[in-house]
Amino acid sequence: MMENAWIIPLFPLISFLLLLLLGKRLKESSAYIGIAFTLFSLLFSLLVLWERFTSPTYKIGTEWLKIGDLSITAGMEVNQLNALMLVIVSLVSFLVHMYSKGYMQGEERFSVFYAYLGLFTFAMLGLVLSPNLLQLYVFWELVGLGSFLLIGFYFYKEEAKQAAKKAFIMTRIGDVGLFIGMILLFWETGSFEYDAIFKAAAEGSISEGMITLTAIFIFIGAMGKSGQFPLHTWLPDAMEGPTPVSALIHAATMVAAGVYLVAAMFPLFSESSTALLIVAATGAFTAIFAASIGLVQTDIKRVLAYSTVSQLGYMMLALGTAGYVAGVFHLMTHAFFKALLFLAAGSVIHAVHTQNIEEMGGLWKKLKITGPLFLIGTLAISGVPLFSGFFSKDEILVSAWNHGNYILFFLALIAAFFTAFYMFRLFFLVFTGNQKKEAQNVHESPASMTIPMLILGFLAVVSGYVNTPWFGTFLGDWLTKGNHYLEHGHEDSPVWIMLAATLVSLAGITLAYMIYSKRSISRDWLGGEGSMMYNILYNKYYADEFYNLSIVRLTGIISVFFSYIDRFIVEGLVNGVTGTVQKLGKIGSRMQTGQVQQYGTIAFFGLAVLLIIFALTGGIFE
Amino acid sequence: MNLDTLLSYEWGHMAPEFIILAVAALLSLLDLFLPKSYNRRSLAWIALVGILVAVVSLIGLLDSKSVSILHDTFRLDSFGKAFKLILLIGAACVILLAESYEPKEGLKEYRGEFYYLFLTGLLGAMVMTSSGDLITLFVGLELLSISSYILAGMRKKNPGSNEAAMKYVINGGISTAITLFGMSYLYGLSGTTNLKEMSGAMSAQAANGQFLYLYGLAFFMVLIGLSFKLASAPFHMWAPDVYQGSPTPVTAFLSVVSKTAGFVILLRIILTLFLTMPGDDTQKLSFLETHSIYISCLAGISIIAGNVIALRQRNIKRMFAYSSIAHAGYILVAISALGYFTFDAVWFYLLAYLLMNLGAFAVIQLITDSSHSEDIADFAGLYRRSPLLAAGFAVFILSLAGIPGTAGFIGKLNIFMNALMTDPGHFVLASIMIAGTVISYFYYFGIMTQMFFRPAASTEKIKVPAGIGAVVVLALAGTILFGVAPNTALDFLHNNFGSFNDFLK
Repeated sequence: MMENAWIIPLFPLISFLLLLLLGKRLKESSAYIGIAFTLFSLLFSLLVLWERFTSPTYKIGTEWLKIGDLSITAGMEVNQLNALMLVIVSLVSFLVHMYSKGYMQGEERFSVFYAYLGLFTFAMLGLVLSPNLLQLYVFWELVGLGSFLLIGFYFYKEEAKQAAKKAFIMTRIGDVGLFIGMILLFWETGSFEYDAIFKAAAEGSISEGMITLTAIFIFIGAMGKSGQFPLHTWLPDAMEGPTPVSALIHAATMVAAGVYLVAAMFPLFSESSTALLIVAATGAFTAIFAASIGLVQTDIKRVLAYSTVSQLGYMMLALGTAGYVAGVFHLMTHAFFKALLFLAAGSVIHAVHTQNIEEMGGLWKKLKITGPLFLIGTLAISGVPLFSGFFSKDEILVSAWNHGNYILFFLALIAAFFTAFYMFRLFFLVFTGNQKKEAQNVHESPASMTIPMLILGFLAVVSGYVNTPWFGTFLGDWLTKGNHYLEHGHEDSPVWIMLAATLVSLAGITLAYMIYSKRSISRDWLGGEGSMMYNILYNKYYADEFYNLSIVRLTGIISVFFSYIDRFIVEGLVNGVTGTVQKLGKIGSRMQTGQVQQYGTIAFFGLAVLLIIFALTGGIFE
Repeated sequence: MNLDTLLSYEWGHMAPEFIILAVAALLSLLDLFLPKSYNRRSLAWIALVGILVAVVSLIGLLDSKSVSILHDTFRLDSFGKAFKLILLIGAACVILLAESYEPKEGLKEYRGEFYYLFLTGLLGAMVMTSSGDLITLFVGLELLSISSYILAGMRKKNPGSNEAAMKYVINGGISTAITLFGMSYLYGLSGTTNLKEMSGAMSAQAANGQFLYLYGLAFFMVLIGLSFKLASAPFHMWAPDVYQGSPTPVTAFLSVVSKTAGFVILLRIILTLFLTMPGDDTQKLSFLETHSIYISCLAGISIIAGNVIALRQRNIKRMFAYSSIAHAGYILVAISALGYFTFDAVWFYLLAYLLMNLGAFAVIQLITDSSHSEDIADFAGLYRRSPLLAAGFAVFILSLAGIPGTAGFIGKLNIFMNALMTDPGHFVLASIMIAGTVISYFYYFGIMTQMFFRPAASTEKIKVPAGIGAVVVLALAGTILFGVAPNTALDFLHNNFGSFNDFLK
């Protein structure tokens, strides 16, 4: 099966082409074409993964481009990492295809939506299968194009149009970094192939400074796609796209491509401690930065968007602290629970027709399926024990601690607290409390929407058990087996880290409970906290005061501070650059007066300048 | 010269030129003698057939060795063949566009001239690719230029077209004067107009610093004079006005055929003459290597000026004029970073540029003609009016912007690698190229936003004439094919033209 893995990306491509040609005639039955073809992709991906458990890595390639003596190949590679990615991408894509059938019902451009989804899935699967940087870059751009089209799907909304443009251009800035890094690597090693590059880096035929430089350039590309500070601003804006798109592209697949890139290039990164430190620091800072902004957002999808940025920061932190397994593990669990959260959020929006969480409330009883599923997602992302996020987050914290970078470790711990807090704030505001006026005629979503959520909900619980300190580290063992560039990330994990992580997340949840839901009946998971919880509840006035005086202020200040950085420094810089370019353009077009004699003058002037320089430097006067 | 020597020349090697000449003459006679009421539109098909026959005859010549006739003034080497092929394909597409062209006030009795002037322009360009002598080079250049001046003013009742022709003639005159002045230095110093002999004379004389200096002056004058044809800095200012005012097929002709011809003559002159001439007293480096920094500067300025000013344009043809200035800059990067595969890079880029730009102009012509305006807003909602046309145009724009999967990307990649692989690498120039490319995304994607994300002003379906449809399909197929499997073109190049080894022989 592995030698036929190239067929996996072709299915969605066929779906895209079919829908492009027949979409108008098929109308809403377009969905079946999209669903069927992604199902084929999923089945083949599963077979490939199954076979990869026992077989070695498979790689083929043929010559694609020949310039002079240089020969550049194209092909595909099935190793552990991309076999896993194939399944994640095709699974989430399949579920989103299914979900969209209900969510996008009645949409005029229904078939166009499915066509774009097919294009995107094709590009993403192609990206994952690439055995060299150039091919990856080609699909990388194509993925960006798919994202651009899907974000701008509701083109009649000005915000959507702006967001689409912003997303494309912001990520392009990162792409330029990737391109430069790629060309530099080619220049140094004469190849785009991962293997050749890793070999050269390990043998020391690239200088250390060059390794650091190229790794940083490649990381810039990853930053753009994965929304790392300061290239993150496009991701929250991208929420203007339809919600299934947010689940597929801006939670599970495309934004994870940056993390995938760093993971795929990990042997290069691991040769330079400076590059790793930059990755780790950027990741940790992004994790806490985005989480703190998430505390005050009122749009359900924006909260989730900032949480995605923050979680991607986590993954980068893991990779940067040499926790290869931790990063990939979190990438997988996050794909499941974040896709679940987005789909559930979509189901909520579908029901109440608003995205503002202040206008929601008391939906627990109305949305009997969505509610519990949303809770599962929330528990998983908050790192509550026994859910998938708990295990992967623990692995990251252990990796940060073992690497010896304690500042980053504590940043990550605080971010975990913030995460638990804002996620439960979201949950309580939406599902508990009183029903608002708008929520009178609320119905649960159709089965086509709830079934995908159920599957993801199941995975959000169990996917963590493939790599636990208790039952064995299957995923870690498998990922690192036979790959001499990688070490197994999991050494000894202090038990207190797991306890600390648990405490921190429970503290966040408790705080959220007291603030946003204190009038509601006690929830099951609070019971376990025992008397201490009770005492605080008893002194609720004091707790409120305390919270108001300290934490609310503090987090308020942090959050305001960071949003100012966001608004004035990052946006300011971007606007500054575009402003300068625009001004140059203005000056340039003003010089174009239409006076024909002026054109000749400029040519003469240019000639004169060249001749003067020539005379002064290269000519007889030398 | 007696009849025997005349007959001893292998005239067969000029077959493509003779065919074009004969068809142009035939068309002008037909135009003269056909009754006034006869619709001359069908003459386009004769022109097209003529070009295709010329292509076939050129392909028949592919295998023949490098030949030089008429005292080495005309040489058919692999360089000439490779670029002639591009010129012919470009001209064939332009004729198809011209066939479908229907301005507001009509072309009426000028339509016949319209077609055969394209052919004479093409003939000039073809002569340029094959000439081994300054005289034939110059004659070819002028034949192309003078045909283009008339073509630009073909819409006689349209003030914009008249203005374009006027400006083009005046600036063209200035550029010719500068070029000729530079050539006169070359002749005066070397005592010959034959490029090969001149090259030998120059190498011998260059040990003397004073000769070197004077040759330097000639080099700069020729370079600046020819930058007019390339529409690159500093002689680029005419392009926006002329592109905007000219009839759209003529704009396409100027931006593709004429520009290609400009690069051909530039390569001929500077590579034959200045690549072998030593650049300083030490004689280690050639003149071109020691002075490539000047070409780099011109390339950089063209890239920046073209892309930055394009941001402000609302007129689509004007925007494409600025974008064509930037593209000329990209190709100059390849020439300035003279390296292992400069020829491949330039040839491939010109081919890609021909396909994507002609495709784009085909769509532009269709839209601007049907809406009688050239504002970018006319493209609003094109996706809803005609999804296939919009998708095609999107591919051309993506290719112009250099997005992977298209021929434009491979072209840029070649140039980019060429710039970095030389020793020392042209890092600054490569960075400018990247920055320029990023800036270009803004205006290219502005058009994309119009097409896909804006409601259409009218829901009227667009009728695609056969000629335009053929150009779009051909260009689309080429853009994607050479983007996905670039080796099809590069293998063709290598198999048939080698590495241009016979260029200097």
